[in-house]
Amino acid sequence: MTPSLTMGHQESQNLDNINPLETRDEDFVERGENDALNDNNDQDEHSERSQSQQAIDESDSSEDEVAPRNTIGDVPLEWYKDEKHIGYDFAGRKITKKERRDKLDSFLASADDSKSWHKIYDEYNDEEVELTKEEIKHIRRLLKGKAPHAEFDPYAPYVDWFKWDDAKHPLSNAPEPKRRFIPSKWESKKVVEYVRAIRKGLIKFDQPKEEPRFYSLWGDDSSSADITKHLAYIPPPKPKLPGHEESYNPSLEYIPTQEEINSYQLMYEEDRPKFIPKRFTSFRSIPAYENAVKDSFERCLDLYLCPRVRKKRINIDPESLKPKLPNKKDLRPYPFACYLEYKGHQSAVLSISVEPSGQWIASGSKDGTVRIWEVESGRCLRVWEIGEAVQHVAWNPLPARPILAVSAGADVLILNTGFGNEEEQKEIKNLLHIGTPTSDDSDDMSSYLSWLQDEQHDCIRLRHYRTVSSVVWHRKGDYLSTLMPADILLAVLIHQLSKRLTQRLPFKLHGLPVSLAFHPTRSIFFVATKKNVRVYDMLKQKLIKKLETQLREVSSIAVHPAGDNVIVGSKEGKLRWFDMDLSSKPYQNLDCHRKDITNVAFHRSYPLFASCSDDDTAYVFHGMVYADLNENPRIVPLEILRGHTSSDGRGVLDCTFHPRQPWLFTAGADSTIKLYCH
Amino acid sequence: MGKPNHYRPPARKEKEGNAAKYVMRAQAIKILQVSLSDFRKFCIHEGVFPGEPKKKVKGNHRTYYHLKDIMYILHDPLLEKFREIRAYKKKIKKSKAKKNDELAKLLTSLAPSYKLDMVIRDRDLDDPLTMVHLFAMLPAIDRLKIEVKLCHEWQAYISRTHKLRKVFVAVKGIYYQAEVDGQKITWLAPHARQQVLTDDIDFNVMLTFLEFYETLLDFVNFQLYLSINVKYPPILDPRLEALAADLYALSRYFDANHRASVQEPQVAGSSVKLKKMELQGTVPRESLLFVILAFGGVVSWEGDGAPFSEADDSITHLIVDRPSQGHVYLSRDYVQPQWVYDCKGTDRLKEPSVKDPSRLMMSRKKRRLAEAIEIGKQRKKDHVERLKERKRNIEAAQKLDKKHKKAQHS
Repeated sequence: MTPSLTMGHQESQNLDNINPLETRDEDFVERGENDALNDNNDQDEHSERSQSQQAIDESDSSEDEVAPRNTIGDVPLEWYKDEKHIGYDFAGRKITKKERRDKLDSFLASADDSKSWHKIYDEYNDEEVELTKEEIKHIRRLLKGKAPHAEFDPYAPYVDWFKWDDAKHPLSNAPEPKRRFIPSKWESKKVVEYVRAIRKGLIKFDQPKEEPRFYSLWGDDSSSADITKHLAYIPPPKPKLPGHEESYNPSLEYIPTQEEINSYQLMYEEDRPKFIPKRFTSFRSIPAYENAVKDSFERCLDLYLCPRVRKKRINIDPESLKPKLPNKKDLRPYPFACYLEYKGHQSAVLSISVEPSGQWIASGSKDGTVRIWEVESGRCLRVWEIGEAVQHVAWNPLPARPILAVSAGADVLILNTGFGNEEEQKEIKNLLHIGTPTSDDSDDMSSYLSWLQDEQHDCIRLRHYRTVSSVVWHRKGDYLSTLMPADILLAVLIHQLSKRLTQRLPFKLHGLPVSLAFHPTRSIFFVATKKNVRVYDMLKQKLIKKLETQLREVSSIAVHPAGDNVIVGSKEGKLRWFDMDLSSKPYQNLDCHRKDITNVAFHRSYPLFASCSDDDTAYVFHGMVYADLNENPRIVPLEILRGHTSSDGRGVLDCTFHPRQPWLFTAGADSTIKLYCH
Repeated sequence: MGKPNHYRPPARKEKEGNAAKYVMRAQAIKILQVSLSDFRKFCIHEGVFPGEPKKKVKGNHRTYYHLKDIMYILHDPLLEKFREIRAYKKKIKKSKAKKNDELAKLLTSLAPSYKLDMVIRDRDLDDPLTMVHLFAMLPAIDRLKIEVKLCHEWQAYISRTHKLRKVFVAVKGIYYQAEVDGQKITWLAPHARQQVLTDDIDFNVMLTFLEFYETLLDFVNFQLYLSINVKYPPILDPRLEALAADLYALSRYFDANHRASVQEPQVAGSSVKLKKMELQGTVPRESLLFVILAFGGVVSWEGDGAPFSEADDSITHLIVDRPSQGHVYLSRDYVQPQWVYDCKGTDRLKEPSVKDPSRLMMSRKKRRLAEAIEIGKQRKKDHVERLKERKRNIEAAQKLDKKHKKAQHS
């Protein structure tokens, strides 16, 4: 075979090789036709080839390749481009080129000829080769990457050429040659050669590519917070910033004395201060900090060994926790300024009471006098000399019955004030006249109590056997309740003025009673003992409720005009507001007084209440009670009223509101009565 | 061998809650298949720290790690690199054991290294700066040269862009606070003294941290230098470098590379800008150079490589720390180093109240206190004197009396 062939030639050659027809070469009759025609070129070729080959290699098998018709060998065909022949045959005759058809003709011919798709033009031999069906099959198999012959089995079992059966010994028992044990001389020579080349720099290895050491890690925008997202990352707390004491030259007050430094030794090691301030007067005298590396090391340990926890700190402004109080201006009117002073008593004024119409005010004092003042002018209208310290004064709540109940020592006097028109006076005189000292009462009562006629003041004198501390009128003005705190059995007595009857409270009191109050609208009676307040229904004669004050010593009680709310003052200076519908426990605790609360009071129409105390102050509160049961009472502290001075450790002893105006009267131990107006 | 155990434990339940979220340290090491020291390194590089589960399943005295963190480490390419290095080290060890020194040398020279740039994440700069400044003060070995370089680069950037806000001189060192990109960064630079090294410090841990911090600061510096259009790493004048005047060399480098993008000083008062200061003798040169430059001032020092000579007429202030010994220039204010830091703290140049360099420079408060103490002492002294005088008078009077009496007797 020629070493290199043109493409077309090779193809034809291959095909020729494959051609099974070749085997029949000898059978063909030699034609000897060299001027081969297009039509029968296949036949010609074979005949020629067989002819030539017979001469050259006879020994070749039947599968020998068919030599080309042309004998020019492997020369560029360009050389024959301008010649009329394409080469020479074996006999040395020229092979003339065929007529070259123009493109149109050849195209038409190929279009007409249905077999044109398996015709190939052989440039080397200048002939057209028609592929047989077999050849096409071969080509297809080759294209698929299979062996060209369908019969060929590439995976045929291996048949060894040598029979190993029953062989006892290896084929060769020759000892290992020495050359296998000595290093190869050739190799060492080659190595030396390479080494020299490397040294000379003739051989260069691929250097690892130098990458720029730094690059913009964060890009243009330095927002790469998402890097840490996948980790449960908590940033470490920053190191503490230094204070003044860590300065190299701190103020003298930061420097501990030697004693203090010695005392550190007595402390636990954890409590000892880590850093002891020192003073260096100049820069050059500052030494190296001995714990610098240690501190840094400890910080490192903290950073990678300490568990970190995100602590949720509640950062609430304490102001925001306070309930929103309405503006004081919106809660006007309320008393805030002292408007009048009523002076005349010689000693502490223990009690005051305002006439239901609001024109007069009565006061009882320790100097044994009861005085009546005109509210608006401050003029003292009348004075009664009782002779004993007046504990309590109370106006009759009926406007048509201007009488005054006064408790002084063990007596209760019912005084005729002399107000009112003539008819009223007549009636009062009838009422207050007792013909003969009556003893029609049950015998056990008479020994303790007696209804007497007082000639001096022209009034009724109820003589008790113990000191009476307070007197309270029922709202209808006929009943009158007195309190003897020293007695347990007969502590609370209820007197009927019109019938001159006296009866005991038909209940057992647990503890000493301290204060009394009638319900403003219903027949309910409040008795405050030292710890509790008991509420009795007088008609049904039974206990309705027990209010637990949680106080040590109750001093006073007042009932809201609507009747469902009660305030209780105590000797600890604490005030309790009870909403009786809500609970028997206090609804609101107001601990504002520093000393004993002496009295508490509700205003009859305005949403105001007040407390007065021995610390010389009286507090005025806004206490709105809503008709809607769902809404809790609104309590707002309004004003602290000062002005009284203390004497004998007592401050303000009594307070009471004006029945119509938002005015507050206070009676002080400094023997004055003050009127605070809005 | 005893009887074969035929008991099979019941199928394990799926873990829930904290048991599933946390793993113990030993477990974590088992998961990662690394040694404890490598695990510590990973913790430091990746910023992994123990967690505090609400319910400690395995007991109170165990270290709990987030499983999430451990799994994150597990998938980090650095882990593979560490294993590779470990295997490689075995090779070196083996060759050394076989006395094959050449191979050992060759292997050591070709040892694989790792880069930490992928593990850098947003961490604050306080700790890195403090630590790098501390190591820059440790005895100068080659390993620590890079720390010095990093410090100077950072300081040069801060002083160039005038981002220094506060300086506080403490016993522990000098605290600086700068504001970069709206972040307040505080670091502590120890005083330039021989540091005390104790035995109870595990330097492996510190060096691991340092390794990480170096990479971090390198990248941070690169980013910062990029933001002011200066090439990083800077190339310094070898003469100045040899004189250990890196900061000055850096500032010269900035001047050369400055492309009008550096902001003009906004704070620290333009009044100070033209002041020329000269450092003398024992003052802390590095720190003052940094602060005065950050201030917008011009500074020089005694010695080689100084920007201008000591005799320069335009020098306005001389910073001294000890009573002046040489020639005293009347045209200059002699101030203490503290004065410079005080000026920095108040953002305004203070009037040096004391011209006499021999007196201590004191802040107003301290001065008042000292005066008060002085007055107190004076009063006490006066009081004692008065008492003494009274005593003397009394004695004199008694003597006179005696004389009189004697005279009368006689």
